[in-house]
Amino acid sequence: MIDPYYLQQLAIGLSQGVIYALMAIGFTLIFGVLNVVNFAHGEVYTVGAFAGLLLITAFAPPFLVVLFAVLAFGAALGFGLERIAFKPFRRFSDEASLKSRAMRESTLMSSLAVSIVVREGLEIGFGSQMQTLPFDYLINKPIELGPVTIVTGDVIIFAVAAVMLGGLQYLLKRTRIGLSIRAVSANPLGAKYVGIDTDRTIITTFALGSMMGAGAGILVGLYYGAIFPAMGFVPGIKAFVAMVMGGLSSIPGAVVCALLLGLSEGLATTFISSNWADMVAYGFLIVTLIFFPQGLFGAGRERV
Amino acid sequence: MSEFVRGRLVPLLVLLVVFALVPYGLAKFGKGYFFQVAQLVLIYALLAVSLHLVTGAAGLLHLGHAAFYGVGAYVAALLGTEMKLGFLWGLPAAGLAAAALAFVVALPTMRLVSIYFAVATLAIGQMIHTVLLNWVAVTKGPNGVMLFSGITLFGTPVKSPIAIYFLVAGLVALSIWVLHRLSHSYYGNALRSLREDDQCADAMGVDTVRLKIEVFTVSAFFAGIAGALWAYTTGYVSPGDFGFNTSILVLAMIVVGGLGSLPGAIIGAALLILLPEVLRGVGDLRNVMVGIVMFVSILFLPRGLLGEVSALSLVRRGFGLKWGAAPSDREVGWR
Repeated sequence: MIDPYYLQQLAIGLSQGVIYALMAIGFTLIFGVLNVVNFAHGEVYTVGAFAGLLLITAFAPPFLVVLFAVLAFGAALGFGLERIAFKPFRRFSDEASLKSRAMRESTLMSSLAVSIVVREGLEIGFGSQMQTLPFDYLINKPIELGPVTIVTGDVIIFAVAAVMLGGLQYLLKRTRIGLSIRAVSANPLGAKYVGIDTDRTIITTFALGSMMGAGAGILVGLYYGAIFPAMGFVPGIKAFVAMVMGGLSSIPGAVVCALLLGLSEGLATTFISSNWADMVAYGFLIVTLIFFPQGLFGAGRERV
Repeated sequence: MSEFVRGRLVPLLVLLVVFALVPYGLAKFGKGYFFQVAQLVLIYALLAVSLHLVTGAAGLLHLGHAAFYGVGAYVAALLGTEMKLGFLWGLPAAGLAAAALAFVVALPTMRLVSIYFAVATLAIGQMIHTVLLNWVAVTKGPNGVMLFSGITLFGTPVKSPIAIYFLVAGLVALSIWVLHRLSHSYYGNALRSLREDDQCADAMGVDTVRLKIEVFTVSAFFAGIAGALWAYTTGYVSPGDFGFNTSILVLAMIVVGGLGSLPGAIIGAALLILLPEVLRGVGDLRNVMVGIVMFVSILFLPRGLLGEVSALSLVRRGFGLKWGAAPSDREVGWR
């Protein structure tokens, strides 16, 4: 019989992994379509959490309303982010410049600059300390499940993530806009030639990815009861790691690796110490890069 | 004439400013704070130029540079406090320790290309940072290390701020000169061939993996030197100074100054260090201003303040020299 304590840690690791997965999907979608890393993704997560906080303190709506409002806000954020940090650098629309090195480097730096401005702006607006949330909204009421005690947050995060992932797969595989996203990520110039509006597709991708990021932000905020301007950094890096481990452009791969990452961090917290848990993620990353340079699920798969 | 101005006069002017004008101003109005800022600019200039060698010249996006800077700072500080070894031991030891570590991590990872390389360096930087933060027995963890001993050169303590400034400026100028000779030579041309097309360079007989390992190690050596200077000038090192944000700050410096341009790296460092200090009056807004400056400079100056001469014009210039078109005794190669 396994000690319930370990099962407990596994449950915590799993819900952490789900959060990483939600973040990693946004990264992967955007990387798949534009071949660029969106450094501001962690800030989308933070801003989503803050938007939820403001909404709760102002109107105190029910939980689902908060969630949907934050999701909508996240989509708007993605739209704005694309317009500010990515659109100005797509000066030409041929494939060479759409995926060129110069474009990659400048958008990398511009999204980084936007993330600095957002984070520092939030620190001025709210201060760098943790914001407290009304107790009623916290999703950490315990649920007894045999020997293990999980909290409502674990269930909610898991359910929301499952719905989002399912919805995304449906969107990508069964709808016209999903088809155009897949087309652009496979071959932007070809997609343009067959009449797909590349700009609109890219914006949709950003809106989708940021929606998931913002949703993850408010869920984590409510789960831990702590929202602060620098909260997006660590999940952002972990999601990045998951994306690379999954092979850079495979969403299922990124999700599996994010779960793996969360679980192994949970175990590392148990067996080593929480301070060293971060090493596990980075160690995984290095090992993956050296021994599976295409990522664990990268080779031979369709992009996105 | 213009060659003379570009090649000789501008560096001379910069040296004049660094070694005469700034110390004069510091001595005249100097408070400790201004000395700190001036030394910070110099140290970050060295960091930016050492990153320029990897990211600007060789085109490898390095996201963990601050970690090697941190290793240098910790080695110098710990040698100074635990082993009672002075500045003259700490400085080279810091450089060599950072270089040795870089060499060890480079051996397996330098075969990676493009974004994979960037992610690997990010992970290495974070791992080193985690070790600095959590290996409490050696690094004192989040409390950091206090280094009280000060700088002693051959038995004479260097106490006055102006002397320390000259020492730092001299070491930084020497290091930048070495890096300049490395990146503006045939060796530097080989690095640029890596950046432009590493498969092509490989096919032409350039040992790309070896070159990457070498350049990564050399860059880490100078980052370590910068770290030792930081440790001795501030007297305090803590893990927070060597995290991802610092790596990104240094990267931002060379991007703002112009990726691939060594003077650009120095200007970028001066700009991004001085700007927040000048804007201190704006209070909390200063970090936001740094972000905005970064964004604006990427948007409107995509080649940076001092962009690198394009490869094509370089080739033209090179051949022009061979055909005797330009009246100069320079060899073919990067100037």
